Amino acid sequence: MSAFLRKTVVRLALAALAIGLIFGVWNLVIFAFHLKAYALPTPQASVSAIYHRWSIFQPLTVQTVKETAYGFGIGAAIGFLLGVFMSASKTVQRLIYPALITSQAVPIVAIAAPLAILFGFGLLPKLVIVAWVVFFPVVVNVLDGLAHVDRDLINLARVMGAKRTRAFLAIQLPATLSPLFSGLKIGATYAVTGAVIGEWVASAQQGLGTYLQTANASLDTTGVMGATIMLTAIGVASFLLVMVAEVVATPWRTRSTARRKTRFSRENVLTHTDSQTSTT
Amino acid sequence: MSRAANPRVTVDDVTVRFDGALTLDRLSLQIGRSEFVSIVGPSGSGKSTLFNVVSGLQRPDSGRVLLDGQEVTGETGHVGYMLQKDLLIPWRTVVGNIVLGAALTRGARSRDRQEAAELASRYGLGEFLDHYPHALSGGMRQRVALMRTLALHTDVLLLDEPFGALDSQTRLDMQLWLLSVYEDLEVTILFVTHDVDEAILLSDRVAVMSGRPGRILADLPIRLPRPRDLGVLTSPEFTDLKRQVLNLLHQTAVPA
Repeated sequence: MSAFLRKTVVRLALAALAIGLIFGVWNLVIFAFHLKAYALPTPQASVSAIYHRWSIFQPLTVQTVKETAYGFGIGAAIGFLLGVFMSASKTVQRLIYPALITSQAVPIVAIAAPLAILFGFGLLPKLVIVAWVVFFPVVVNVLDGLAHVDRDLINLARVMGAKRTRAFLAIQLPATLSPLFSGLKIGATYAVTGAVIGEWVASAQQGLGTYLQTANASLDTTGVMGATIMLTAIGVASFLLVMVAEVVATPWRTRSTARRKTRFSRENVLTHTDSQTSTT
Repeated sequence: MSRAANPRVTVDDVTVRFDGALTLDRLSLQIGRSEFVSIVGPSGSGKSTLFNVVSGLQRPDSGRVLLDGQEVTGETGHVGYMLQKDLLIPWRTVVGNIVLGAALTRGARSRDRQEAAELASRYGLGEFLDHYPHALSGGMRQRVALMRTLALHTDVLLLDEPFGALDSQTRLDMQLWLLSVYEDLEVTILFVTHDVDEAILLSDRVAVMSGRPGRILADLPIRLPRPRDLGVLTSPEFTDLKRQVLNLLHQTAVPA
């Protein structure tokens, strides 16, 4: 456990160092190019802006986090179900895949306007946009995971007399977990950007994205950078949350034994062994 | 050990073609109840094809497979099957992997898990019941794979080079371990290997296959007393049998 603790401390220290480096380079750029505060404020000023304007930032953050989280959930669910559905048949896959790729090649800003016309200016068009960017990496990874299940493992299941659905639930579906999380991690970082674009195009409610726009228009660069830092933090936090969920959901990748132990004592097992219970 | 009047497994006149090329050529083989039969042969002689036919994964172009006289050609679910790859499921623990057969057919119950724990404990895996496969050595993983096969409650086991990927020291340990398991339980084993020593050490009979198309060239009874141990490997009878098998194999390796 102490080894685990030491590893965690080292990792946190490295992460803090990375943030320090980014802020350092930021300051360096300002110094080297003699940038005025109205062109690019220092990171210190930007962070303190968040602190001083917290009463403004707080509801905006809640709004944007809500859009990001709901949209992410919807996108992930659609992506997963679509991946499983598409894996069922090569024909279905060849039919749907090009449409999926097209959906990602279309500039989001271009579809955002029609979405606003269709769904109004409330939460819905933002959720659609966030889900739009999130579902794609999920589908691709889930499909990949399902396609790479060892053929011999499926044969083994057949030799064991497995029923199709049980084999799918016990072997193929859990095999999608690791690739699913790879897709979710990519999706989690994209989700915030999706929410911001959604707010820019269709906004009645204020979020960090709309704030970014207004601050930009009024040359409030400190406000712009403050909102940017908040948005970045939301993106990083989403990624970390998915990472934690991955560790919890796939314990076999990080642990050598199961959390829930087999439910009988060693002595029990030994007596049963001595009395030669059914094995043949 | 003798070829019984009613064999447990009968491969009757089986022919398999792949893309028109003969892989198995009218092959017949009988295995008695609780008999251990090894098949040795050059690479590509169709040993694995024979296994797929017996397990029901592949339907032969002609010929039949019988278990206790009942035709099961092309039907899966009757025999246990284990490959060189352990094929353990990474997200299942040792116990979870052993009960896989039950989980895939009717759902694993606590009785199954109990029995799996007993099997594992009896054959040297007691410390590892809740371990995930990645935390086990190659030898341990193959033990789990064999326990999973035994837990199917079928007494016919097909083992396709199960120790082929292990280092020689571990392989010898596993061979001795398999001997003890086999001598302990009433199971019928069909075993494929490249390793002549392994075949003789373990088996009641060694069938030597020809190169493609696969045919059985010779069927040698191994009359070494059981229980067997390491000493067998250096006995004069063993050496004599090994010479016979190697001669047969060498013959087949030379193109006709």
